[in-house]
Amino acid sequence: MPKLIIDNIAVEVADGVTVLEAAQSVDIPIPHFCWHPALGKAGACRVCAVRMMEGPVKGIQMSCMLPAQDGMVVSTTDPEAVTMRRNVIEWLMINHPHDCPVCDEGGECQLQDYTIAGGHGIRRYDGKKRTHINQDLGPYIQHEMNRCIQCYRCVRFYQEYAGGTDFGVMGSAGRVYFGRFREGQLESPFSGNLVDICPTGVFTDKTARFRARYWDYDMAPSVCPGCSLGCNTTPVARYRELLKSIARRNEAVNSWFICDRGRFANGEVNDPQRPRTPLIDGVESSRNEALKALLFRIAQTEERYGTGSIAIVGSSRLSLEAALLLPTLAELTSSGALCYFASEEESGRTLPLFQLLTAGRSASQRDVRESDCIVVYGCDPLQDAPMLALAIRQAWRNGATVYTVGDGISLPCDVTTVDRLDAVPLSDAKNPVLIRSAADIPDQLATTLHQHDHLKLAVLFPAANSYGASKLALKHLGVSFEQAISSGDIKGVISVEADIPQKLLEGIPFVAALDWRMTETVQAAQIFFPTTAWVEMKGTFINHEGRVQRFNKVMNPGVPIRGLDPAVHPPHIHRTAPPGGEPQPAWQILAAVIEGLGGELITEPFTGEWERLRGLDAECEGVIINDI
Amino acid sequence: MKILSDIAALLTGMWITWKHIFRRPVTIQYPEEKRTPYPRYRARIVLTRDPDGGERCVACQLCSASCPVDCITMQSAEGPDGRRYAEWFRINFARCIFCGLCAEACPTLAIQMTPDFEICTRDIMDLVYEKEDLLIDGCGKSPDYNFYRHAGIGVTQPRGSGAEEKPPVDVRGLLP
Repeated sequence: MPKLIIDNIAVEVADGVTVLEAAQSVDIPIPHFCWHPALGKAGACRVCAVRMMEGPVKGIQMSCMLPAQDGMVVSTTDPEAVTMRRNVIEWLMINHPHDCPVCDEGGECQLQDYTIAGGHGIRRYDGKKRTHINQDLGPYIQHEMNRCIQCYRCVRFYQEYAGGTDFGVMGSAGRVYFGRFREGQLESPFSGNLVDICPTGVFTDKTARFRARYWDYDMAPSVCPGCSLGCNTTPVARYRELLKSIARRNEAVNSWFICDRGRFANGEVNDPQRPRTPLIDGVESSRNEALKALLFRIAQTEERYGTGSIAIVGSSRLSLEAALLLPTLAELTSSGALCYFASEEESGRTLPLFQLLTAGRSASQRDVRESDCIVVYGCDPLQDAPMLALAIRQAWRNGATVYTVGDGISLPCDVTTVDRLDAVPLSDAKNPVLIRSAADIPDQLATTLHQHDHLKLAVLFPAANSYGASKLALKHLGVSFEQAISSGDIKGVISVEADIPQKLLEGIPFVAALDWRMTETVQAAQIFFPTTAWVEMKGTFINHEGRVQRFNKVMNPGVPIRGLDPAVHPPHIHRTAPPGGEPQPAWQILAAVIEGLGGELITEPFTGEWERLRGLDAECEGVIINDI
Repeated sequence: MKILSDIAALLTGMWITWKHIFRRPVTIQYPEEKRTPYPRYRARIVLTRDPDGGERCVACQLCSASCPVDCITMQSAEGPDGRRYAEWFRINFARCIFCGLCAEACPTLAIQMTPDFEICTRDIMDLVYEKEDLLIDGCGKSPDYNFYRHAGIGVTQPRGSGAEEKPPVDVRGLLP
């Protein structure tokens, strides 16, 4: 444990920690471009210079390259170090183009910040700038090589961290070029992280090209709903349009990065076809009229077909708040079935595995990254949950052995293929993790788990809140909708963000739907309420390991200004609510229905054993629940 | 004698009044007569064009960011040649305080203040100016400046042939 003094502050850090990190641990900022917490050091940018006053090394040193040692006395404010840093910035700016006004990174650019912080305002060098020809890197990433400052972050991420092979560095000396050998779309499913990781504007998000500036963004901490991993994101919106998503750091979950599938999935929120007004038999109406009609039809259905003729259907993509209100709604409508899964197949894929996740058994992405033996059993992480494949690669880079049971699974690392689960030497491993998505042979899995107490299980569920839905389904004896209608008694359905296929709804006279997407269920519904997408509300998801994570409201619901007519001129009209601003969070609509049915007014969905989730902070690591 | 000094004070006052009655007035009969403000007078804002006739505004949002009363809104877009331009650009002159910070912030010298101070209307909504109301056909001040000639992104000229640029690097070249 070396002890050193940085700017007159005594610091004690672990072995192998660099001076830069030691300074950060006591909130002393040292500028840096090439160093990144997830990628380590490269010593390429020379901007983290500090002066070593005493100790084993003396003089100007690069703080990112130097491990902290006993007896070091470091000064970050020494005039010599400050001059060095200022000169380095000036060198970096020699070839940097004069295009900040037309650069999407402007306003969120690390180079811009450090240039201003370093005091370099007037260009002294009047020589010419080197230029490059850009490449077309596909529909997601915009390339502008003139802006490059050769920090090597992109290539270190792409090749080392993510295991991509089609992007690299070419040329030498002042001609260093970061790109592909030939133009074309980047192949890695993590290529979007180049946008986040580039300290300047070489890689920018093409899907949000020229849309807004950092200071105008509507942003809030959020959670990706793309799969059950619950990676942390910061969605960015402007003028009621979801522009892009930025990865948000959560060491327990996704660390610094997110996958492209989650990052470039904004289309559904901005979709012009998205249903945004309440409908009664296909006719647009107000929220109150639709509520009245819904209450009337519930009573009518009960009268006509008797009690137990209505099914309440939730889903595994529904936020926990709304899922918690479904049992109350089922009770008040004296419904025949409370379903959290539409199909028997989804229910069968989720519930048996959920029951195996006992306390301390579930593996987070951090557990996967820190594991020394990973077994991928009957699932394809790159397809089902790409970030888990990235976590597996980090474990492999740290020396873990990765086993796949059966053929046909590709991972961004070397794997050992075995025939059976028994063939994996689990007893020799210290922190083994087993990754599984569907339990077609759960008995064998249960036996293996029973034999190896230290074996953790990472389950890839089908959707963002599968864990929450399973928990509630087991607690309230929910059945799948497919099973519920097999008796033939169900004559009415209230579907809450559920994807019920058309064929399951045949012969059911009354269908009401709450959703924010245009699904088959919405098209079949007689009464429809628009709900908010995850970026338009505050809500909660429980990820695959039972980690409860809060997401905050990023923007107000409404038709994006871009989608209004005439598109190029936002109208000169004063109004209190935006057009298409009717959607409400699903749980608030449910609360109104419950009140209309004679239940209590619900203002807080978290009650009883869930009460401790009320004040959950969206920016914390999340809370593991497997005791509720 | 107090009365004499009072009379003297009265007459002095009257003398100054009468003197000014026969002087040339400093006020003018606005609006029949009009004064020409100085060229750097800060009144109605315009968007200028570069010497080649293209729109100077790149919709970088710096004017709207610097505006203390938030009267500027815009949306940027990309033209077919890669030029960044304002899809729509709106200044609410009912809110503008003519402080000139937007013109100072503009990196492409597009937004400029003119001496035209007569922008009263009967309907306040007429004071919301759209891009076609703001855009003029000239360069305004700094008639020689074209941002894209210096930006290094190859919009008005091929990449690497701008004012301060070397030709593009051949990354596959083997020469040192």
